[in-house]
Amino acid sequence: MPAPNGMYELMYILNPVLNAEQTKDIVARVSTYITENGGEIVEVVEMGSQRLAYPLEKKRNGYYVNVFFRAPGAFIARFDRALRINEDVLRHLILRYDAKMERHYERVRTGEGVKPIPAPTIVEETEG
Amino acid sequence: MAEITEPIARQAAPGAKRIKQQCPFVKAGVEYIDYKDVETLKRYLNDQGKLFPRRLTGVSAKFQRQLTLAVKRARLVALLPYVANDVK
Repeated sequence: MPAPNGMYELMYILNPVLNAEQTKDIVARVSTYITENGGEIVEVVEMGSQRLAYPLEKKRNGYYVNVFFRAPGAFIARFDRALRINEDVLRHLILRYDAKMERHYERVRTGEGVKPIPAPTIVEETEG
Repeated sequence: MAEITEPIARQAAPGAKRIKQQCPFVKAGVEYIDYKDVETLKRYLNDQGKLFPRRLTGVSAKFQRQLTLAVKRARLVALLPYVANDVK
């Protein structure tokens, strides 16, 4: 019996120079690639064009896309490589979800029990 | 009488208040620190973009490890800088 497909999260940054149509096309192609290889899309969140914290390939902005999906483990290595080869993808990150992360994802998605952001109280160091 | 050369374990001055902090993540009942939650992560970074030590923020060891990982992931995808306020 094959192992059940694991849950993954992918974040990728697309070249901001692409026009809306090209961007849409790539986003669709990434999704199709997952489904064609025995995976299923859970959710695609397009975070849109954002300023990068540091330049990537001389670009100051990037189009962020977040994909949540389930796929067989053997597919991930190939997928990772395909993203690396694609020159329109400036950067990508694939994370395998564990139980904690899945619970966190569910909470965020349903908007239930999202914990208030904890703020640290930074204690100033005193000279010893 | 032998001369004391080693510093003795310091005792708090009488009446000195010991600041006891509770880990903000434990307090809020957080289970997982998301690397996408840049606003939260930023609070744990100084203006150079470096992570504050636990000694200053009171974060528990468990969450400090999670925090470190989340910050590193956020840096990889350019959500956070590796080096900020780069002063030469």
